[in-house]
Amino acid sequence: MEYSILDTQCLGGPYYKLTLKIPPNDPIPSPGQFYTIRCSDGTSPLLRRPLSVHRISEGKDSFELEILYQAVGKGTQWLSGRKRGEGLDIIGPFGNGFILDPAVSESVIVAGGIGIAPLYALCDDLRTYNKDVNITIIWGVRNRTELFYETQCGEVGSLFIATDDGSHGFHGTANELLARMIKKNRVSVHAPVYACGPTAMLRGLGVMSETFDFACQVSLEEHMGCGFGACLSCAIPLKPESIQKNSRWPKQALQWSEDGNEVYSLVCKDGPVYDIREVNWDEWSK
Amino acid sequence: MSGANDLSVRIGQIKLKNPVMPASGTFGYGQEYESFIDLNQLGAVIVKGTTLKPRTGSFPRRSTETASGMLGSIGLQNVGVERFIKDKLPYFDNIDSCLIVNVGGHSIEEYIEVVDILSREKRVDALEINISCPNVAKGGMSFGTDPEIVRDLVTRVRDATDKTIIIKLTPMAKDLRPMAEICQQCGAQGVSLINAPLGMAIDIETRRSKLGRNITGGLVGPAIKPIALHMVWQVAQVVDIPIIGIGGISSAEDALEFIIAGATAIEIGTWNFVNPGIMIDVIEGIKNYLKSHAIQSVGELIGSFER
Repeated sequence: MEYSILDTQCLGGPYYKLTLKIPPNDPIPSPGQFYTIRCSDGTSPLLRRPLSVHRISEGKDSFELEILYQAVGKGTQWLSGRKRGEGLDIIGPFGNGFILDPAVSESVIVAGGIGIAPLYALCDDLRTYNKDVNITIIWGVRNRTELFYETQCGEVGSLFIATDDGSHGFHGTANELLARMIKKNRVSVHAPVYACGPTAMLRGLGVMSETFDFACQVSLEEHMGCGFGACLSCAIPLKPESIQKNSRWPKQALQWSEDGNEVYSLVCKDGPVYDIREVNWDEWSK
Repeated sequence: MSGANDLSVRIGQIKLKNPVMPASGTFGYGQEYESFIDLNQLGAVIVKGTTLKPRTGSFPRRSTETASGMLGSIGLQNVGVERFIKDKLPYFDNIDSCLIVNVGGHSIEEYIEVVDILSREKRVDALEINISCPNVAKGGMSFGTDPEIVRDLVTRVRDATDKTIIIKLTPMAKDLRPMAEICQQCGAQGVSLINAPLGMAIDIETRRSKLGRNITGGLVGPAIKPIALHMVWQVAQVVDIPIIGIGGISSAEDALEFIIAGATAIEIGTWNFVNPGIMIDVIEGIKNYLKSHAIQSVGELIGSFER
């Protein structure tokens, strides 16, 4: 598919926002789903880059897809050089999005760095379900130079920032800030948590979800070859006893070992959103 | 069909409507591509390497991109032959392209058992015996580098089935020519080459492999094309059975190079990830080449390399 670029915007530093026009008959993605974009005219970089849906907005005569990314490698740098009016080779949406409970009155977003990208669309959806929903956004970055989206985040929820070096907001990690806010009753453990960020952060959040007993969905990343379940690159280990299978998360790409003690899941097909307790973090990050 | 160029080719007992098919391990069980491509247009579909029992495959991290290629260590993750027959095979009842099942194993006995089971399935047209998987501890590539094991394995596979058998060779063997000759002598009706050569990539910050605990992986993609093409050309000079060329093909031009070097058919792998519709473009491109060069059939082009 070719989508035309409506806008490409540098948000400061290596952070960019790309707006694409979704042609009339193409599917409208859900928060948490992703697309793959060819970020080259040749063989380097070779593979399509998976990028999550940042926001879906209604334009004049079509829906618009916003993608927020950090230009860190050859592919995303190539992407950052594309201009308004150019076409992009894009496929998707792929994967399963977040599962929202329309009845909740409070939700918590925990983001690490560019992990804020897929969570923004989620805030929009939460607001669509319940305009009075109370959204707390906890965003952790290494230092203040990595903050680029505060105003926009402040528009969709109450934003709390944590920096590893204390250069802005809370001095510590997003997880530490969340723990503190739970202990001080500033967020309820009954509020569902939605998270995206570095694996180490999400792994820590997994431990916290058990300590404080809160529900948490995470959007995960693993190296992908294809994005649609063919190459089996993005397999991650799950805990056999904790697997959630339902109509929104059909988990069609599970591969069980013969003895049933091990199970791998494809992030592109079964994910990228998982219940945090499903993931075998120890085995994955060895 | 007078005037039309004939793209069909024969490998053993099977006739492919054109010489283009996907490389095993890059195409899942076919269905993964149904929203991108009409499988009926392909010469054949080659499905994921199938073993006797289901396998969970390698640890993460399973792939990493390198210059014009990628390293992969999937470790033969597959559903096992029983579930393949029950859950995956019925899908092909409505597809008229040939179906080739790639067979993997730990031991000669395992290969034979899988071959025996698949031989009873009518819908399976041919078997591609993978003696070259770079990412399994036993069997796989270690089989493909030992001429005596190759002789034994191919002989026993030949005895175990009436279906067309193709042997998929590893470039890690010292010389592919004697391997291909052994395959031919022992009754193989085709050889496919090359599977992925082993490679490595290191993260200089952590000093660990970019493939984590897997350490090494098979190198695939355009990076290996010249090596694959050379090996196909070499093997074409010593065997009469059809050769299936594999390695970094990303266009009709690449496919034509392999055919001219001596390949009867070709497999496309990594490029399916880059462009899931590529095989249709390649079929069209071959057709156009034949037309513009006034060549009646693709058969005339096979091995037409000029010194």
